[in-house]
Amino acid sequence: MKKTITIPLGSQHISLLEPVKFRFVCENEKIIDVSSDVGFVHRGIERACATKFTFEKIPYVVARICGLCAITHSLCYTQAVENLLDGEVSLKAKYLRILLVELDRIHSHMLCLSHVSENAGFEAMFMQIMGDREYVMSLQEMITGNRVQFDYISIGGVNRDIDTNISSQIKKNLTIIKQKVYDYIEQFENNWSLSLKYKNIGKLSLDMAYQYNAIGPLARACGLETDVRSESAYLPYVDVGYKMITRSNGDIYDRNMVRLYEILNSIQMCENIVDGLPSGEIYTKLKGKPNGESLVRLEAPRGELMYYIKGSGKPLLDRVRIKTPTFSSIPAFIEVFKGSDYGDAPAILASFDPCMSCTAK
Amino acid sequence: MKNLKKIESSLETIKNDIKEFYDPKIWGFLTLNGVCIDIETTQIQWIFAKYKAIDEIVMFYVDVKLSQTVPTITDIIPSAIISQREIVDMFGINIEDSQKGLYLDEDSLSTPLAGCGI
Amino acid sequence: MKSSIIQAFKNLLSKPITIDYPASPIIKPFGYRGLIKYEETECIYCLKCEKACPPEAILFVKTDNPSSNEKNKKSLEYLYNPYLCIYCQECVRACPKPSLALWQSEEKPSSGIMEDKVNEKWFEIENLKRGDKL
Repeated sequence: MKKTITIPLGSQHISLLEPVKFRFVCENEKIIDVSSDVGFVHRGIERACATKFTFEKIPYVVARICGLCAITHSLCYTQAVENLLDGEVSLKAKYLRILLVELDRIHSHMLCLSHVSENAGFEAMFMQIMGDREYVMSLQEMITGNRVQFDYISIGGVNRDIDTNISSQIKKNLTIIKQKVYDYIEQFENNWSLSLKYKNIGKLSLDMAYQYNAIGPLARACGLETDVRSESAYLPYVDVGYKMITRSNGDIYDRNMVRLYEILNSIQMCENIVDGLPSGEIYTKLKGKPNGESLVRLEAPRGELMYYIKGSGKPLLDRVRIKTPTFSSIPAFIEVFKGSDYGDAPAILASFDPCMSCTAK
Repeated sequence: MKNLKKIESSLETIKNDIKEFYDPKIWGFLTLNGVCIDIETTQIQWIFAKYKAIDEIVMFYVDVKLSQTVPTITDIIPSAIISQREIVDMFGINIEDSQKGLYLDEDSLSTPLAGCGI
Repeated sequence: MKSSIIQAFKNLLSKPITIDYPASPIIKPFGYRGLIKYEETECIYCLKCEKACPPEAILFVKTDNPSSNEKNKKSLEYLYNPYLCIYCQECVRACPKPSLALWQSEEKPSSGIMEDKVNEKWFEIENLKRGDKL
């Protein structure tokens, strides 16, 4: 007589935001084995970038891979191409690029925290965090003209400048958000049904994180100190006030705390940029066509993003390879599921913060 | 590019080279990659990056033809299984222990990146 | 626990933050990205905007009754598709006379909800143009 039963957490489920399919093999409510299927939204972007679009149009194509991390894809590709052309990007353009990447990180972490509270049953907190996220979205609309797809980065600089009106509005909105984030930290630290019941659930130990190459907030919650913002020299993060935030336990409670403190650090960095913005041009024209190989990494809200391009002196590139953060974390997800209860599976999945349109490009 | 170090290897020695080089606490495995050189040859690359160092990247590469089989490295690095399945889908190269079907269905266009996109 | 009860009472007594569009209007921000406008008498027909557009929403096609501009040597006509356009301003940046011949206005594009098969005629023109080149 069979001892196990197969239960799907399928591509259609009430608490699932992303199209992913898991098949759990369970014995008496404990999960023993997992098989997964990603790739429901494959659109063939790598082939389109090598056959149909010239190298100047690709930042607009690649930004439409994902909605939440649109600007990180665009910026990472642009930095890889600027390595192969001659010319230098001005310091003011680099500071403006960091400003938008950090604003993007703030609203993406707020979306993940609201989804975690909805899974815990606290629907009022979900609506409150989504309402407070509007302060950040209206700032982005004021700077770039759009709430989600910015179209702000071009090869050689950025497209629009900020004036004194916009800077004072940025500081006003960020002060409001900072007070609200302190309230959230107090709720997440003291409320039993929201987050204290998740201690020691969905745990990933430090040895497993080394073995399965975990990245992003998932790794920093276990104690593995890895962050591309301190391992790369393309953007001046050290001058702006960046600090790495780690915890040591590796469960769902620690991942929430890492995200909350990263929002506070990003708010501090944005205020430093607006106070100390250097003067200069926002766009310089770079000459030539890309010839050779280039590899650049960048820290997206979910982990480490990598672009590899190869050109041979023509307007069409030979190869564009994209490695997204959720793609490398899938083996770590599958390892955490084994050994936990079936009833905790939606909460564990929401705390990983998967982005499936980035994975299946 | 300044910080990119490329090391050439061959199909018989690649598994031993990676085993001697890789230490999980110093090097982080990024991904596998395939580049089309001409109609019959594809170059497969294994990319690693160092923790706590600024932009130090090492790449092992092998030139492979369509009829050859590439050895698998999942016993050394367990998280490489998903990158290997993507290369099998996109380029049509045989890798041990990796099945087709990660992104593409059976009745869709197959091996879209092989043969330099023609 | 006490702070969430206080927050619940505050939410009970305050107004909702949703804007009930279209009953109340939405305030457009400064620098709204609207439709692209073209002035034919200033154009020099260099075709740089057609090469720079990422989704290829601007096409110059041959026509039988060309305009009286002296720079229009190959009898071309300017066509623009507002449903393919992404309003990124690449064409305005590539134009040699940006505020005189081509500029971006603040006019809101129409949404195309009640129209059927909006892009069929455009795709026929694109196929003809690709056939001319081959």
